[in-house]
Amino acid sequence: LTARTLLYLTPAVVLAACLAMVVLIVATKVARTRRERRTAALVAPYRIDLLAVSAGEDDDGSHRARLVGADGPSREALDGTMTTLLGKVRGAPADHLAEVLHAHGAIDRAMEELEHRSSVRRARAAHLLGLCHIHRALSGLAAALGDPTPEVRASAAHALGLIGNPAVARRVLDAVGTSRPIPAGAAADALEGMGTGISEALLDALHDPSPTVRTVAAQVSGEGSFTRSTPRLRELLTHDPDLTVREAVAGALAHLGRAEDVEVLARHTGNEQPTPLRRTCVTALGELGEPSAAPHLVALLDDTDPRLAELAATALLCLGALGREALGDRQGSAAETARVLAQLQRGERSPA
Amino acid sequence: VLTVADGPLVLVADDDADIRDLVEFKLAQAGYTVKAVGDGLSAWEAFEAARPELVVLDVMMPGLSGIDVLRKIRESDAAEVPVLLLSAKSRDSDVDTGFAVGATDYVVKPFSPRELMHRVNAILARAR
Repeated sequence: LTARTLLYLTPAVVLAACLAMVVLIVATKVARTRRERRTAALVAPYRIDLLAVSAGEDDDGSHRARLVGADGPSREALDGTMTTLLGKVRGAPADHLAEVLHAHGAIDRAMEELEHRSSVRRARAAHLLGLCHIHRALSGLAAALGDPTPEVRASAAHALGLIGNPAVARRVLDAVGTSRPIPAGAAADALEGMGTGISEALLDALHDPSPTVRTVAAQVSGEGSFTRSTPRLRELLTHDPDLTVREAVAGALAHLGRAEDVEVLARHTGNEQPTPLRRTCVTALGELGEPSAAPHLVALLDDTDPRLAELAATALLCLGALGREALGDRQGSAAETARVLAQLQRGERSPA
Repeated sequence: VLTVADGPLVLVADDDADIRDLVEFKLAQAGYTVKAVGDGLSAWEAFEAARPELVVLDVMMPGLSGIDVLRKIRESDAAEVPVLLLSAKSRDSDVDTGFAVGATDYVVKPFSPRELMHRVNAILARAR
């Protein structure tokens, strides 16, 4: 091919590729619309039953019986619609939808499909088992936390959170520190769904060699107010080799710390500490809300890091009347910025 | 969609047809007259035209969001109409925003239809 031929060919190839893309998009949309219309047509005769069950208006069980009696393509379409509805309602209606899905054999199929070769089917199966709170799926879902496909791992974590059994909390925590990790946020959400029974697992995870595991354990300890973690959190704030872990620990102490933690946090606001940690500790001192933090924060109002000075002023305002008094009519950009922010938050000043 | 009954008019706005139909069904079963729409702009137009006694608003809708519609309602001459936000946004900051703009109540999805009805009944009883 000569350079001249290439010059003529390139726009033609680009144009052909664009046209192919447009055709593909249109074809996909048409196929999806057809599929949705077909599903809607199959579900239509049962729409009132679906609404009655989902709305909790099926005291005599007659609507459930009609849904259970559906067969053929209608049953398959109904199962998809009921799975969607299950994610939108809770309480007795959700239990009743799960009963119908169980009667249709959808739960047993999902148990099998956790090991299906299609990752889409594995992720959907995990999702359904979570929505229906299937406790016998725990081990299969815990195994799916190590699935090669990220979407399946995330779906399994979400499902375990919905089931809410703390027996698998350590498995979820371990899964954030592996070579095929689940996202830290998904793990934290799942752990929060497991209630107070995860305190032992959290404490154990705060000793884990993986910094990601320790970070998640610290965050969840703080957000869930797991006070058993407090002594270990204090140790980690000082000694952990990973800065992210120390920042997460400072945030956690802000939630569950006590008066004695003012000194612990204040020690880490010194200018020999890394800047992100100093800033997090200053914010934590405000969130902790202990009046004894005021002198430490006042001392930071003239810090060479202007952002830290602003955070110290804002933290003082979090301490209430005593903090406001300590800030007084002190001049300087940090104090003034904090006052303006506080006025904006209270609606006493408009952004304009 | 307008479901006619004898009870007070409730405007329901949600872009999710399942939720919209479900809430409409539940309210109609309880004897309310329901006007259901699928986006924020239609919600505002329906509010202006029908002046309902209660509005149930989804937060995330195409066009105007539920928060935008709520803000417009609170700036209108029918600012006292109670508005219940029904949203999948469950963070504290989302709930704070809803109440700060003037929501009467906030229900997080997934929701219990029974609990929603208790809240609707209580809001309307207080408003009368």
